[in-house]
Amino acid sequence: MLREFFLLAGQSILHRRLRSWLTVIGVFIGITAVVALMSIGYSLERTINEQVSGVFGLDNFVIVDENAFGPGAHGGDAGEYALDLELLRSIEGVQVAAALRERTGYVQGQADAEGNVLQGFFPVMGLSPELSTQFKSFTGELEVLPGGRLFEPGDIEVAVLDYDISQRLGVDVGDTILVAGDGTSELDLTIIGIMAPPEDNEQEDGGGFNMQFGSGSEGDTISVPYETMDLLWGPADDVLVTLVRTRPGYEVDDVADRAEDALKARGSEVSAVTYTDISDTISQMTGAISAFLAGIAGISLVVGGVGVMNTMFTSVLERTKEIGVMKAVGAKNSHVLTIFLIESGMMGLVGGIVGSGLGVALSVFGVSLINRLTTGFEMVTVINPWLIVQTLIGSFLLGAIAGLWPARRASRLPVVDALRYE
Amino acid sequence: MPVLRMKGVTKNYELGKTLVRALRGLDLEIEKGEVVAIMGPSGSGKSTLMHILGALDRPTAGQAVLDDLDLSEVKERQLVTIRGKKIGFVFQTFNLIHTLTAQRNVELPMIFQGLGKADRVRRAKELLKRVGLGERLKHRPNELSGGERQRVAIARSLANDPEIILADEPTGNLDTETGNAVLVLLKELSTRDGKTVILVTHDPEAAEIADRVIRLRDGCIDPRSEQPQTDRGDRNA
Repeated sequence: MLREFFLLAGQSILHRRLRSWLTVIGVFIGITAVVALMSIGYSLERTINEQVSGVFGLDNFVIVDENAFGPGAHGGDAGEYALDLELLRSIEGVQVAAALRERTGYVQGQADAEGNVLQGFFPVMGLSPELSTQFKSFTGELEVLPGGRLFEPGDIEVAVLDYDISQRLGVDVGDTILVAGDGTSELDLTIIGIMAPPEDNEQEDGGGFNMQFGSGSEGDTISVPYETMDLLWGPADDVLVTLVRTRPGYEVDDVADRAEDALKARGSEVSAVTYTDISDTISQMTGAISAFLAGIAGISLVVGGVGVMNTMFTSVLERTKEIGVMKAVGAKNSHVLTIFLIESGMMGLVGGIVGSGLGVALSVFGVSLINRLTTGFEMVTVINPWLIVQTLIGSFLLGAIAGLWPARRASRLPVVDALRYE
Repeated sequence: MPVLRMKGVTKNYELGKTLVRALRGLDLEIEKGEVVAIMGPSGSGKSTLMHILGALDRPTAGQAVLDDLDLSEVKERQLVTIRGKKIGFVFQTFNLIHTLTAQRNVELPMIFQGLGKADRVRRAKELLKRVGLGERLKHRPNELSGGERQRVAIARSLANDPEIILADEPTGNLDTETGNAVLVLLKELSTRDGKTVILVTHDPEAAEIADRVIRLRDGCIDPRSEQPQTDRGDRNA
């Protein structure tokens, strides 16, 4: 019987073609906006996730100051933390751990031809050698000028200089500089490499998540091996970031939890951040943004629903006599109600089908427009089938709910009055 | 045995602030297979009587019994069932659904009774053939003449094989010739199929086919009217 009711409702919609289409237009404009915005939101989320996972890898995690990330993070206040790197390396499941710590130190270059010695306070950065060999996705390709090299395990009294500072200190590969740490500790460090000067188009490898070690914006950093920092400033309490790779077969989130617990037990105020954590945060953010935008677009859905309601009221009024006839030939109230609900639901559904199609098309167009207007940011297009399914069900319900009131009115018309209606 | 029995039927309704006493204690019996014409001037209560006979409305007081069922006591749901199964309506303005073809219009009462598609289509075709519209199955009402529309309506009234055909001014919108053809068809329903046919009409020609004419005046039956058609002819002569 339901099939017949669908046919009856469909015939009625087709009979009032123009009005039905106008009503459907009212519905699909709103649905187009919602679907397009949600789709662009999904695309954005997927794009950021892919970029982050490209940098992060699925088996790595990062240890940062606990204010930098995670529950209770208030951002902006991210700082340095104490770290027992050997303890971290001994945790089950940790394959490689590399850290970066930073101080400001007194540095003395070599005397020039006139006997002037350039000196001053400069940032000194301690780097685990593994940073440049094992974590290239984070650091990018670090390049030294020809004739130099980067750190290797076992290096102690050596330094790699940024290009600018090497010029200012007037030193080159093979020269020595003096770096003074806490108290009386000081070391003569042999320069083994000069970083290639940053090129004009520094950001061309895109991503925005790369940490630009060494070739920092100021270009005046002196990099030394991580262990050398111990000799100058003692045990690390000035670590900025630690990168950890887990052994194959270990769950990265489990290892990260273990590492965080172990370090916290030693008094380090740290947070271990995995790709899952970042991905969740990204989803929350993009989800909130697209929900907000879709909410605004949803207002037009309400307008569309009111349009359906208006059309259905007109239809009930127009067909009062028809309703009377249906009841006279044996239609129950529930039959009349069902027919009218199906009719308004179908108008919603057609609006949903057209709106989903247009919304997806609009989002594809929007993504390609974003890709054309921006460089270094290739957005992927995501078409979420669930979104479409939900939209279609939702649009049918929107129509049916908008039609509920008119349909109830139709079903309750007294048959005698309805038959008399002119 | 009467198929319809009315005893002291009263129907009042409010029109604005005035109480309209449409029927004032009507007694009436209609036998199975009878053709009865209900006549009377406007405002005499014809339509109200038809609504009660057709289970479209309930009396304010009194009994209206159809097949042992007192219409004044049954629930609205049962009235719907009675309308669907026991009564077929034919209206002055045909009242076909204009978005549906002739065949679908005839199918409609069967759809509401939940009849399967195959049976429904077969019966609709049969009925339309019987009223002479076997070639017009797929035509919509606006593609049919007035007489044809009324014949579709008659076919529709027969869809669920009801006992009673209730025709409200069936010839009111038709020319004499077409009207007569419709009347012949209605008469045939009684003589050939044994249906009870109740005609509510102004048309003396329509009354001609009736076995009995009931005249209404001010909500009461005119006592002189309850006589066989032939008697009335004699008296008028």
